[in-house]
Amino acid sequence: MAGQSDPHLSIFSPSEVEFVAEDEIVDIVPNIRMDALNMICGDFGPFYPQVPTKVPLWLAVALKKRGKCTIRTPDWMTVDRLTQVLEAERESSREFQPLPFHYIEISKLLFDHARDDISDAYLVRSLIEDIRDVRFHKVETGLETISGRTHAVKLKNLSAMEVNIVRPFMVRTLQAFYKHDSPQMIQQADTTGSRPTPVTDRGPRRDLRRR
Amino acid sequence: MPGYFDIDDILMEDEPISVVFHVTANGVGLLDPGAESNCVEKGAKVELPFWLAHGLLSLEQAVSINPPPCFTQKTRKEIQADAACVDLRVRCPYFYELGCKIVPLVSDKSIGLFLRYAFTSRYKEVLSKSHSSSMMTVPKFVPRLTKEETRVFESARESMAAFKKWRAGGVRLHKASILGRKRKTKLPDGASTP
Repeated sequence: MAGQSDPHLSIFSPSEVEFVAEDEIVDIVPNIRMDALNMICGDFGPFYPQVPTKVPLWLAVALKKRGKCTIRTPDWMTVDRLTQVLEAERESSREFQPLPFHYIEISKLLFDHARDDISDAYLVRSLIEDIRDVRFHKVETGLETISGRTHAVKLKNLSAMEVNIVRPFMVRTLQAFYKHDSPQMIQQADTTGSRPTPVTDRGPRRDLRRR
Repeated sequence: MPGYFDIDDILMEDEPISVVFHVTANGVGLLDPGAESNCVEKGAKVELPFWLAHGLLSLEQAVSINPPPCFTQKTRKEIQADAACVDLRVRCPYFYELGCKIVPLVSDKSIGLFLRYAFTSRYKEVLSKSHSSSMMTVPKFVPRLTKEETRVFESARESMAAFKKWRAGGVRLHKASILGRKRKTKLPDGASTP
């Protein structure tokens, strides 16, 4: 699947990533009675007042906008859990904590449309911002280790939006390094002996596969 | 990425290259500004665009190519001293692309290594500034970057700016301008628009 915003680079715009995130399932508590909705992606409902049910995020937002339900905050979006995650992120300088793949988008949608359903909304929001900042700083320090010997980069637990932000930069960088490291560019490198030794400290977080 | 329709590839091939003629070429005196007759003497040193030099070299072995000034020892020393501070755009905006094309044509094989060294050491500087710089101000070092480095830098800056714009929110769906106009003309004069 390629993004529509730039067909040449196959880059997703942030709103396209948000669109993908809207398929994530959330819990809602409806306050109306409604028959089941039969969609291509599955059947949702039936809806009874005060009986929790699972629906995609886009449906939850649509119902919430009309005042037909309250959205239950996901487990990971509580102050306790996020504080734990933030501490763990700060402690390990290499690894990323497991968070939902779309945590940035889901939290933004919930803050935009269901702010009154989130307890300690202000604190939760600043925690998510902090987590995102810490994680992105890690990505940047990780990018410094890219060298001519890097052919693939494994980033475990990185979320959709974070990948999307670094994708164009990373792809271009890897292309450039690949070009400058191709055999015909450095054909007599080994005989001259001036080739720098490969970077040994690559950091355990990134699993760089080398040729 | 080179390609027939790539404008950067075409512009890059226009870079002047100093060549030495191995044969006497008649009727091309305009290539050599110092030529007295309408021909280029054997052993004459002439500046040709890269595409012409490449063509003459691969077809007839009529010329030999000298490495362009941006790959001389002087530039290499400067890059080794402080790579990020060297203004490569002034020397050659297509530094890396030209270098890649020059490598198979000249005897000096260390150019490939030099290119990789230059890119690796300058990449760190680009990386540290690219995601954090704002859209309003352009960092001081940007005019020193070559085309390839600028592309890397801009791609990071644009994706970060797009993300910030999305996070700040705003109008998600834009109304077509024609809809707004139609509605206004239909409303009676006294009615207030919602």
